[in-house]
Amino acid sequence: MNNAKAHLKSDNMSMWMRRQFTDYLAKVLGTAATLFGLFWLAWILWTTVSKGLPALKWELFTQMTPPPGADGGLLNAFAGSIIMSGLAVLIGTPIGIAAGTYLSEYARYSKFGATIRFVNDILLSAPSIVIGLFVYELMVRQMGHFSALAGAVALSFIVLPVVVRTTDEMLQLIPSTMREAALALGVPQWKVVRQVLYRASMSGIVTGVLLALARISGETAPLLFTALNNQYWASSLLDPMANVPVVIFQYAMSPYEFWHALAWAGAFVVTMFVLLLGIASRWLLLKGKNHE
Amino acid sequence: MNDLAAVKQKNVAAEAGSIATADAKITARNLNFYYGSSHAVKGVNLSIHNKRVTALIGPSGCGKSTLLRIFNRMYAIYPKQRADGELLLDGVNVLDGNYSINRLRTKVGMVFQKPVPFPMSIYDNVAYAIRHYEKLSRGEMDGRVEEALRNAALWDEVKNKLNQSALGLSGGQQQRLCIARAIALKPEVLLLDEPTSALDPISTAKVEQLIGELKTQYTVLIVTHNMQQAARVSDTTGFMFMGELIEFGATEDMFTHPKNQKTTDYITGRFG
Repeated sequence: MNNAKAHLKSDNMSMWMRRQFTDYLAKVLGTAATLFGLFWLAWILWTTVSKGLPALKWELFTQMTPPPGADGGLLNAFAGSIIMSGLAVLIGTPIGIAAGTYLSEYARYSKFGATIRFVNDILLSAPSIVIGLFVYELMVRQMGHFSALAGAVALSFIVLPVVVRTTDEMLQLIPSTMREAALALGVPQWKVVRQVLYRASMSGIVTGVLLALARISGETAPLLFTALNNQYWASSLLDPMANVPVVIFQYAMSPYEFWHALAWAGAFVVTMFVLLLGIASRWLLLKGKNHE
Repeated sequence: MNDLAAVKQKNVAAEAGSIATADAKITARNLNFYYGSSHAVKGVNLSIHNKRVTALIGPSGCGKSTLLRIFNRMYAIYPKQRADGELLLDGVNVLDGNYSINRLRTKVGMVFQKPVPFPMSIYDNVAYAIRHYEKLSRGEMDGRVEEALRNAALWDEVKNKLNQSALGLSGGQQQRLCIARAIALKPEVLLLDEPTSALDPISTAKVEQLIGELKTQYTVLIVTHNMQQAARVSDTTGFMFMGELIEFGATEDMFTHPKNQKTTDYITGRFG
């Protein structure tokens, strides 16, 4: 009897030890994986900062991209990136919000809606180079030349699924009681969506747009096939247009020290811009939460 | 039949709380409701008096909230939910597909269990639905908003912060704001779905007092878990069990001499 009890106890002991060990192992592996990931991220950031910061100068924002051997900045590339990214957001956001609204408010329970949601998720993770090639076929080949417009359209294909997804998710997060309360007043659904639901999910939807902007501001592949590059000002949206990612690509590949420095400076500015957008969107979400 | 006799009969009928009186605002005939294939409300017949408070009581899942949500066709926003039978509002069947759902909802307002103020100012919460239906001048709108807030016994507490967010109000104030929002449209019927279950006792007392005042202008239907509340605020009570309306009559009779054994069991706390 006593013996059996002792046996049971030692069994429990060994099980306890085993669990302790498994727990410890899981903790160590998890921490190691996190550190591994963070290490590369920190390295990339450090390289960008240490090489980009010294290359930062005022002329970066006032002078055009130089030919080999000359002095210059990235003015036309920054302007081009702003124009094309802005245009892409302008194209992608209204369509994205409308589609996201359709999915959440009009097709939430339908098979059709589920299918669109699935297809949108595929588009969300589509390699950007595929999107670049698609727009190349769609617009560049038809028009016969590279153009800023094609670049903006390619970027808008990246914006679109991000905005669809966040709009859909943010609207679905709104409790059904708010929808019911508004509809119970006899106000038609489209007005309820526009005046009550958008207001309740505004911070989330804007966050989605900001994240989409952050995503496209570093995209190179879609622009390589569409807007290409331009050493000067583009005279219209139908001309090839300079942009930061492609200029970074071109200058980083070059044998010239000065171009390397410009590429680092450009990379630094884009990275900081994305970082800022990230912080802004987090802040917005937090503000939205506190408001509820 | 002369007039006097008719009045007399009407009074007798009203006192007994019997079905189908001339004074009925809402009449249900063989009303059924389905969630997909589940039959949640079964063959309900009742008639609800104009400008009285009618309470629906019963254990959880008995179908009382479901029944309430048929009255403004709230269920219609969800697929696979449907009602059949007849539901007459002033003698017109509102379940008829031709009856405009939004028109119905302006006549039949609803307040929910959890207060849900819209993310806008107190003023805009009340003005929201009015703006959709009426083009009013700023002054007229101010008047309507004040009237609704006064009728909801909230005016004195919010008159100095009408432009502040409604989300900053306490739970009890938010619920009275929701009542103000519903009555701002001047509905004829007011549906209250467990309106005090999320409130503290003091806020509950305020809302109950308000219900007593509201019945001078509106026909009120209240679903409640709280039998004492039903006894306090209502003139007529319906007891529901497993989707059926077991007993329906004057509140006083219901709580003193219930006719059905199930009602007796429920109100004496044997189940539910």
